[in-house]
Amino acid sequence: MNHSQMTARVGLFFIIGLALIWVTFEALHNGRFEKRKGYTVVAPFSTLKELKPGDDVRLAGVKVGSVETTRLAEGRAEAVLLINQGIKIPLDSTGVISMAGLIGTNYVSFDIGHPSAGTVPEGGTVRTKDAADLNTIMSDLGSLGKDFKNALGQIGGALGNGPDGQPGLFQKLDRLVSENSGKISTTLGNLEDITTKIKSGEGTIGKLVNDPSAYNELNATLAEIRGAATEAKTFVANAQGIVDQVKSGKGTIGALVYDEEAGNNIKIVSKNLRDLSEKLNNPNSSFGQLITSDSLVRDAQSTLRKVDRAVDGMSDQGPITAVGVVANALF
Amino acid sequence: MKQLNAIFEGLGSAILLTTRAFATLPSAPRIIKRVVEQVFYGGYGSLPIISILSFFIGAVLALQSGISLQNFGAKQLIGTLVGESLVRELGPVMVAILLAGRVGSATTAELASMKVYQEVDALVTMNIPPERFLVLPRLLAVLLYMPVLTIIAIVIGWLGGAVICNYVTFIGVEPAQYFQSMKQFLTTHKMVDGLVKSEIFGFCVILIACNTGLRTRGGPREIGHAVTRAVVFALITILVLDYFITKAQA
Repeated sequence: MNHSQMTARVGLFFIIGLALIWVTFEALHNGRFEKRKGYTVVAPFSTLKELKPGDDVRLAGVKVGSVETTRLAEGRAEAVLLINQGIKIPLDSTGVISMAGLIGTNYVSFDIGHPSAGTVPEGGTVRTKDAADLNTIMSDLGSLGKDFKNALGQIGGALGNGPDGQPGLFQKLDRLVSENSGKISTTLGNLEDITTKIKSGEGTIGKLVNDPSAYNELNATLAEIRGAATEAKTFVANAQGIVDQVKSGKGTIGALVYDEEAGNNIKIVSKNLRDLSEKLNNPNSSFGQLITSDSLVRDAQSTLRKVDRAVDGMSDQGPITAVGVVANALF
Repeated sequence: MKQLNAIFEGLGSAILLTTRAFATLPSAPRIIKRVVEQVFYGGYGSLPIISILSFFIGAVLALQSGISLQNFGAKQLIGTLVGESLVRELGPVMVAILLAGRVGSATTAELASMKVYQEVDALVTMNIPPERFLVLPRLLAVLLYMPVLTIIAIVIGWLGGAVICNYVTFIGVEPAQYFQSMKQFLTTHKMVDGLVKSEIFGFCVILIACNTGLRTRGGPREIGHAVTRAVVFALITILVLDYFITKAQA
């Protein structure tokens, strides 16, 4: 092999090697050979978790850039995001650090937002929020499991024997069943009889279940009860109206109940009636005698008979008297 | 005590050899032809065996990972495992071991022969520093071809893993998924770490080979001993250095 062939092969060897190096660095994406185009924005977080330079930045799931660097600034963790040229992140778009898989890498995920809200300028700060990571979720699950275990332990304690040797729920149930097996058998037998009768249409429930006419009658009865209830409701409403009127002092009863003057008048009338009745009951008074004494009645009857006879006499003397009167008038 | 003294003596002479070799660096343009020769024999000549070895290392790695990871449903991580293993560890170490076996042994044998048969003395007599004529081209060449050999080994190893993932039925991981999972965790930083490691390994292997060859004394039997000593010492150095470099890079 001459020297030129050797040199050519060495040249080929280096070209292959350098090409492989370049391709590998390009494939790994964050190689220094790549000329990056785009602009940077700052995403502050309380913790960056496992986020590292080179991780994806996605807007509504679409890759729009990558994490350029991570740093601590002003008491918070910041990720500087390199956003592809031509991609605008809306101002109201919120970024969270998401996981690509259970053991995968993290990425910054932005929701789509509204472009009308404006866009984040170059070097600007994007809105972010901290999402619960797997560790927090697992910690919560651990607490939940602990609580569940405690609850199961309590249930188990209630079902099994207590620490003081007291029988558990199952043992109590077992004892209850064994002690009352005769009664339970009788009850079950009765239940069987009842259900047989219901099935064969005997009795009220049986007819109700099996006979459509009984069911219809029951429905009609219920409708009547419903109508009666409606009427009762109307009656109660009317009564309520009357009571309201009485309360407001309207009408006779209202005046009686709520008008003070009317009350006084009634008292006076009542007093007068009492006086009158006392007088009526008094045998010395005229009305008392009129009511209680029989002699007065007899005197009255005698007087009336006398009056009757006198009237009869006057009727006989009537024409003579009339002539006398006329004569007196003329002469 | 004698062996300890020999180790220190070898270390000191290696440092001196490096210093003397790089002291002649201004005359490097005069040795370009020899550098190209060394790249051809050391780099280009090692390409077939390194390709075969890397392909099967990647394939075996993918196969073993698939067998282990399928038990807990994490086959999608085979790409990550194969990718990182080859970049950070297996690629540089395997290339360095092959270099020690193929190039290092040949270098030691050549220089030891020249030393035993007084060719080195002849060069000195002709006022040609053996460090410039014999050592510097080899050191410059290894610094040039080692990253290339390593990246080729890594990429061919990745392809071996991808072939296994695609064609072995019980693994059944698509090449796209294999490379996607590899890309998720692999960074250029790790790649640069691997290439730096391979540079250090390659330089040490060739330096040990040259130093052992030039320090050979005696007859032809010593040539064989020198080769054995150089390869063993190079392998030990590779593994010891690997630990410390990995720790420094972590």
